[in-house]
Amino acid sequence: MSTIVSFKDVSLNFGGVKALNNVSFDIKEGSLHAIIGPNGAGKTSIFNCISGIYKPTSGHVEFKGENIGSLRPDEIANKGVARTFQNIELFENMTVLDNILIGAHRHIDYGSISGILFGPSVREKEIEARKIAEDIIDFLEIEEYRFSYILSLPYGIQKRVELARALAMKPEIILLDEPAAGMNNEETEDIARFILDIHEELKITTVLVDHDMNMVMDIAEDVIVMDFGQKLFDGIPKDAIHDKQVIEAYLGVSTDK
Amino acid sequence: MKGRPNLYTDYRKEIAILNTTTQKFWALIGLTLLIISSFFFSQYWMYLITTALLTAVAAWGLNIVSGFAGQISLAHGAFVGIGTYVSAVLGGVGSSYIRGYELDMLIWLPLAGIVPAIIGLIISPLAVRLKGLNLGLVTLGLVFIASYIFSNWNSVTGGSGIGRKTAKLKIFGIDFNDGFYAGSYHIEKDQFIFFLSLILFIFAGIGVKNLMRSKIGRAYAAIRDRDIAAEAIGINLYRFKASAFALSSFYAGVAGSLIFVMSGGVDPTQFNLVYSVTFIAIVIVGGAGTVLGPLFGAAFFSLIPGVIKYFLHFFGTTADQVPLHPTQIERLVFGLLLIGFLIFESRGLWGIWFRLRNYFKAWPFSY
Repeated sequence: MSTIVSFKDVSLNFGGVKALNNVSFDIKEGSLHAIIGPNGAGKTSIFNCISGIYKPTSGHVEFKGENIGSLRPDEIANKGVARTFQNIELFENMTVLDNILIGAHRHIDYGSISGILFGPSVREKEIEARKIAEDIIDFLEIEEYRFSYILSLPYGIQKRVELARALAMKPEIILLDEPAAGMNNEETEDIARFILDIHEELKITTVLVDHDMNMVMDIAEDVIVMDFGQKLFDGIPKDAIHDKQVIEAYLGVSTDK
Repeated sequence: MKGRPNLYTDYRKEIAILNTTTQKFWALIGLTLLIISSFFFSQYWMYLITTALLTAVAAWGLNIVSGFAGQISLAHGAFVGIGTYVSAVLGGVGSSYIRGYELDMLIWLPLAGIVPAIIGLIISPLAVRLKGLNLGLVTLGLVFIASYIFSNWNSVTGGSGIGRKTAKLKIFGIDFNDGFYAGSYHIEKDQFIFFLSLILFIFAGIGVKNLMRSKIGRAYAAIRDRDIAAEAIGINLYRFKASAFALSSFYAGVAGSLIFVMSGGVDPTQFNLVYSVTFIAIVIVGGAGTVLGPLFGAAFFSLIPGVIKYFLHFFGTTADQVPLHPTQIERLVFGLLLIGFLIFESRGLWGIWFRLRNYFKAWPFSY
């Protein structure tokens, strides 16, 4: 398996705050990677560096061997990097279907003037996009919400629609920022099943950030543990829970020795 | 599927412009009424309706950039002005101190859109750098620059207080300024301008609807609602903000090229800040971000003077018996309505129409 995303000594500073401090790791193509750590550990900063929302202060972020540190977010997205957000970033005044169609943006190929004329070829491309959207609606089992407005949907479904929008990009790698945050057990199980499906059926490299340790340990193949902007651990989940540094970061150090 | 005409059986039907028989029916009725009534209306009402149609085209333009793409533009009136002067210079009559080339309408009408579109493209980087209020302020600066140029470029605009004549109506070399005969029926110049405006209006409306149902419209809405998420999906903010400004200016320019043709002349002081703000008011009162909204707003704004006059006449009063001049009443009414809409019905006239439609759809049930 080749490397799809690689961090090489990446640092990200906000004034004096070191959000990321010389972080290096590789994510292999086709893997299911989890990034965990306490609040403020730099997990979301890693995502923001990959998707180009933040530019690293130093170091290289590579996508398939190419340095993407200086590219705009939309250029990176068009290379096949999809993501979801910690606080749902859906287009609330639109229907589920429109949100998913926006996700398919990069696969619908025509310009502004063709859009205003809406000729036969544009029509065919729109219908093609609709078929992509319907496949994803079917995959994530949200048929009944197709024409619902986002604001009217429960939180768990909104999370799933955001996942659908990311999948509509037909990405090579998908970054999921706390997909199970704020969900009950049943919804968490659903989302875990969908993540496994995305990974196994659609063969999309998946990276997730989450606090739900049970879910992460159950589904992730590899895990990176972060704390205060530094990488503590990188390996398989089973070893992570026995790692001394990880235990210290999560549970604190015992003082009475 | 014969018995259930409103059941979509394929995606093609679903994305059609008028996708129900009811919509088709009412669109046809509206159009027919408009055309028939043009033969009966007085010159004054013809003028108002033509102005309404062209104002709707310009308002659609503002709706593209502000309603769909969410970029405030206070300079829309200036783009209407650019369109007016491009057409007046190319299609108007020249003299020793005013430029005019008396070209064919087939040349000046497209160019009246293309020139503002290019200027829109040139200023669009501002919108990429700035957001919200800051962008509003910069476009405000553009209005002042534009009205300074309009007032002082005498060889093009005639200078403030003097003005110039608008473009002549000449198509394929045939002069329509004195009307023409269709068979034995004489079609007046005003009627001709009305039909021209109506055709322009229909094409402009279809264009806006197309934009809304295409990926371009979705990209605009994505930028308006959440620009960071839009970027993370692969939408190029630079490209789409630029195209929104260009298309919006195109609409403004094309509308501007005809909007003063009926009255025959135009004074450069016309294109001041109030003129630009009027378009914002029209879009808000009508319903921003919808296709029908600006149409409602434009009709409302343009027809108010006629309605006020009608009422004054109805109650047997003349204009000088009322303490306020009709135009003052019109300003006052429109201002009050603007405040009222912002407070009580933020979706504008479109919102009222939307609720009425849903009420009658569900009738006789109340929900």
